[in-house]
Amino acid sequence: MSSFFEEYPDFPNYEEMAVHDETHGKQIRKKLWMVFWIMLIVTLIELVIGAFFSEQLSEINKEYTFIFFTVVKAFFIVWVFMHLGDEKKALKYVIIAPYTLFIFYLAFMAITEGAYSKVIGDAIESVVLHH
Amino acid sequence: MSNQTASLALRKDWDGGVSPFGVSYGKLFMWFFLVSDALTFSSLLCAYGFIRHKFTGSWAEPNKVFTHFPFIHKDLPLAYVGFMTFDLIMSSVTMVLAVEAGHRKSRKEVVMWLFFTIIGGFIFVGSQCWEWYHFITGEETQQVARDYWMNGKHIIDAHFQGANLVANAYTMLPTFGDFFFCITGFHGFHVFSGVIINIVILIMVAKGVMDKRGHYEMVEKAGLYWHFVDLVWVFVFTFFYLL
Repeated sequence: MSSFFEEYPDFPNYEEMAVHDETHGKQIRKKLWMVFWIMLIVTLIELVIGAFFSEQLSEINKEYTFIFFTVVKAFFIVWVFMHLGDEKKALKYVIIAPYTLFIFYLAFMAITEGAYSKVIGDAIESVVLHH
Repeated sequence: MSNQTASLALRKDWDGGVSPFGVSYGKLFMWFFLVSDALTFSSLLCAYGFIRHKFTGSWAEPNKVFTHFPFIHKDLPLAYVGFMTFDLIMSSVTMVLAVEAGHRKSRKEVVMWLFFTIIGGFIFVGSQCWEWYHFITGEETQQVARDYWMNGKHIIDAHFQGANLVANAYTMLPTFGDFFFCITGFHGFHVFSGVIINIVILIMVAKGVMDKRGHYEMVEKAGLYWHFVDLVWVFVFTFFYLL
């Protein structure tokens, strides 16, 4: 490690740059606890819906509701807890873009292919599982 | 003018001699590792969704399967998983507080918050063991008749309780149990290795290795991994227990 910085003395030492003082730390801690309360409330809402109201909602509405809450929580974890929101634009894109691209493709393929195989699945269900 | 400064700044970023992402080598590759790990989990969950939608009618309803709570012999749908989620979010908060204390180079606070994080991790792993035990033995659930193949023998109309890899009492489909063991097991193993990593970092911090190094970036990198574990649980919780 030290030999690298001896060889390239102008290269910024990013490890040592990531520091802040007490007053700034106080602000950050306040933000972190606020995010914690948001996540807790979202989880409680999810649990109440899941345990008591899951029969009232139609299957597709239930899926959209829960996926929405999940994405909200995932955003807070990645953006605040993992500090991606404080990083440079280039890093944000290089992390988020390939993942999003791939996951939308995967979900699209699963939904499209799942539509055909649903027919086969129904046939298996009626013949094999219920004799 | 503003265009010119923007292009100048861009040239500076990508001209070499600095990291265009403004982070150290180690942190950048931690992020890359997490993206690849996230893709692994996504493909597992996508496969789960695919099979589940294929057998919509006979899939188990999670709020009728996961109803147990330690020491309370009542039906409490999703209560214990809710507790596990709370525990993991809580330990995520203590981890991010450890990272924040690391940025202030306050060794005592880092040790304290890392210690709480490890406790939270152990509670989670223990809870998952308890849940697996209940899922496998199927205590307090009724016996059902199942046909299945095991050790080369076809077992017909067996009285069956709980779950294994070839059959389970919760639904006719053995895939339900298979996915449960595969996805929660893979996630549980991540939590376990996260706890081990946190313990190693805690010992290093307590011994003053980070102070000698001049920065607490190792805590931040371990924190990234720990938050990722929490992130995955948020999705497993939704797709496995809520939907």
